Amino acid sequence: MSREWMIKIVLIVLLAAGTTLAGIQLFRQRHFDVPMVAGPGVTRTAKLSDYSPGLKGTMADTTVFFLEGNEEGGKALIMANTHSNEPASLLAALIFLENAVVEKGTLIIIPQFNNSGGRNTRPGDGYPLYFEIPTDWGSKKFRLGNRDASPLDQWPDPDVYIHYPDKQLLSFIDVRNTNRTWPGRADGPLMEQVTFGAMEIMRQENVDIAFDIHGAETMFPVTNCIVAPEKSARMATMASLTVKAREGFDNHVEPSPSGFRGLSHREIGDYSDTLPFLLEAPIPFLDQPTGPKTEKFLLDGKDPFLLKLAKAKMLFVPYDESGWPMDKRVGQHCSVVLEIMRQYSRKKPERAIEVSHVPRYAQVVQNGTGSYYHDPSKADPDKVFLN
Amino acid sequence: MNVSEKRFLDYPEIQYVKWGQVENMYAQIGIIAFVMVIAYTVAKWKKLSVETSMFAAALAGGIAGAFVKTPPIGQLARHMVEGAFTYLDVMLVFSTATIFMAVISEFGGVDYVVRGTIKTFYNKRILALLILMFIILIPGALTGAGSVSVLVVGAPTVMALRYLGIPEKKVAAILFIVAGLSAAAPPVNIWAMMLCAGTAIPYVGFELPLAVPVLLLGTFTMLFLGWKREEKKELADILNQMPEVPKKMSWWRIALPFFVFFGLVAAVRIWPFSLPIIGLPLQFMVATLAAFLVSPKKVNLLVISRDTIKRLLPLLTTIVVVGMLQQVMTATGVRGLISFAVISTPLVLLFISLAIIIPFSEGVLTYGAAAIIGIPLIWFLDSIGFHATVAIAGLTLLWPLGDGLPPTALIGRLSVMVSEHKGSYWSFLKNTWVPWIVITITGILMVVFSSKLEFLVRWSM
Repeated sequence: MSREWMIKIVLIVLLAAGTTLAGIQLFRQRHFDVPMVAGPGVTRTAKLSDYSPGLKGTMADTTVFFLEGNEEGGKALIMANTHSNEPASLLAALIFLENAVVEKGTLIIIPQFNNSGGRNTRPGDGYPLYFEIPTDWGSKKFRLGNRDASPLDQWPDPDVYIHYPDKQLLSFIDVRNTNRTWPGRADGPLMEQVTFGAMEIMRQENVDIAFDIHGAETMFPVTNCIVAPEKSARMATMASLTVKAREGFDNHVEPSPSGFRGLSHREIGDYSDTLPFLLEAPIPFLDQPTGPKTEKFLLDGKDPFLLKLAKAKMLFVPYDESGWPMDKRVGQHCSVVLEIMRQYSRKKPERAIEVSHVPRYAQVVQNGTGSYYHDPSKADPDKVFLN
Repeated sequence: MNVSEKRFLDYPEIQYVKWGQVENMYAQIGIIAFVMVIAYTVAKWKKLSVETSMFAAALAGGIAGAFVKTPPIGQLARHMVEGAFTYLDVMLVFSTATIFMAVISEFGGVDYVVRGTIKTFYNKRILALLILMFIILIPGALTGAGSVSVLVVGAPTVMALRYLGIPEKKVAAILFIVAGLSAAAPPVNIWAMMLCAGTAIPYVGFELPLAVPVLLLGTFTMLFLGWKREEKKELADILNQMPEVPKKMSWWRIALPFFVFFGLVAAVRIWPFSLPIIGLPLQFMVATLAAFLVSPKKVNLLVISRDTIKRLLPLLTTIVVVGMLQQVMTATGVRGLISFAVISTPLVLLFISLAIIIPFSEGVLTYGAAAIIGIPLIWFLDSIGFHATVAIAGLTLLWPLGDGLPPTALIGRLSVMVSEHKGSYWSFLKNTWVPWIVITITGILMVVFSSKLEFLVRWSM
């Protein structure tokens, strides 16, 4: 056998070994289920496909949790992991799911809204596959997903995405972005079916207020804020002022642009009676001018490049040596959701939503996000949901 | 130990970096970047191909990064494989579009079109040049990919330009520049769309800020490079020199496959909610089938496909490796360092350096450059009062130039391949310098005076 062929065979073997190893790692990430322990407030569950039948049997289907109070009242919907690379949303939603007790009204939670995106990775961006949150009983492991649904679940992409129903041209990749496919349709591409399912929940269940929880770069002007359309703006402003005065953190209000279609904070308000709020907390991990994309950076938000840019006043949030830790982001989301529900309940007492046993900002920062999660191995198996 | 005390203790510390010491981070990432450059240089010195050298750089960078767990060594193979899939869709479009044109060419369609064009427009030079410009602009404008323009209409326009007396070295330059402009032309400009997606700016109001400079710059390029007739021949002599076309050939046989392709593209635009999304690769394959069915002579589809993929292999490999390189650069922090360096540059210097930074970033990262440099740049410019839409339009005139620069040189290499340019790649690139500079100045001026050009956005809406 010639030397050239020897080299070729060695390279092929190495390639096969590397590809197999990588394939196994990527396969495991896609099929890794996060156990979620339904807390004392959970009264029933459904699937998103119950509201959008086309999702049945697909990776885009996801669990919907209902926390119904003893007393009639209003209804609130929390959607997290719309973008699965903004994990503070999922962590905050799980705090509600595992701890909240609803006294009045109903709380509906979809912790992994873009379930397909949560089982995707982001080629070219060098993310870790998982991250872990320390708890009193060990660490809780999560997939780090992508902003967009997996092409394994929705493919091919069009050359340009034409938004339904406004016909606005959007980037081709946005056809898999569940914050561009609102209000969706029953027979559209899979991600339009996902947002359609959520719209159906809001319409059929008469949801009063809806939260779509996100994270945004520190260099992005629309960060650390509540994005609200005209009809939600007053309530968002009241909540923003209250958390600033009572809890000491900033969370300003940004208007939802009427000319930019497909976003939850625009379309939910335009296509239902629900008041939408999109919450953004800073996530330095998503900024471009940063050091390596490590799990540690995802969680502590510390980066020396961003620190230097902050000193040059190029960031849109205050940023110092403490970075922007996950607990701070999760705590902000918990407080803002609770505050908006409180403001709504004050304005419409007959449609009040009263929720207890959910920590606010200071408690999450002090105790750590993980201290609010329950050990699935010790929980009643009927209460453990894999998603 | 309670949870708050335990937090972060389990996470691997990055060994060489202490919080707050930017210099240490610079050093760590700088060393990794240096290792990548050395690996590339050694590979080239050993006379390995561009693609293999880039692969060596990515692998060496990943291994160097693994010493400080960025990325952990156990994840290196995954990063390489994951990165390889970054531009899978682009590769599918390249492959299917080239097979489509190869079938048209094989049955004599290209020769027939060129003969017809020369016969009609040989003595109306300006009109002929402008018509050819529009022919190159349309496929790229509709799909957002200049490479599609080169692959779909490149061959017939190249032949027509040659018969118009334009020397071969200038023909490749015209094809490259105008195809690049076609990618920037509305309605589909992928760089602008990616920037809009990343900066939450609606992709609206781009029609005039993109169409006006593209048409002006395209016309300038055609006239500057194509005005002078190097060699005047009699029309009859030229027609005699042209290859024979099959006897059964007719306009409809050529037009039909193109109608099928553009019909599918247009149909999705006209009835977006009634038709399924089939994607550009399948649209090209359907058009290929149509071409096969109307061919006036027997063509072997499998042989043509095999030969086409063989011809495209270096280009496809480059795209695969660019994805790997991008992934490793991000996981190690090299990409972030580049982005940091760009946006830390003082404003005036930044505007001047756009002429270098934007095309070179495209040359290395292709569309990834829009995300890495474009998104923070637009956020920054927007925050200090520049008009984001016009600034994006200006930047997107510069990115296609980078498609002529190594290591990827996607449109440049395709232009050389389609035009069968005989000289070195550098000799081809040299012929583009005047339009290149004019486009660069136009793009930068659009960014600098974006607020004053805001009326273009208003008039588009």
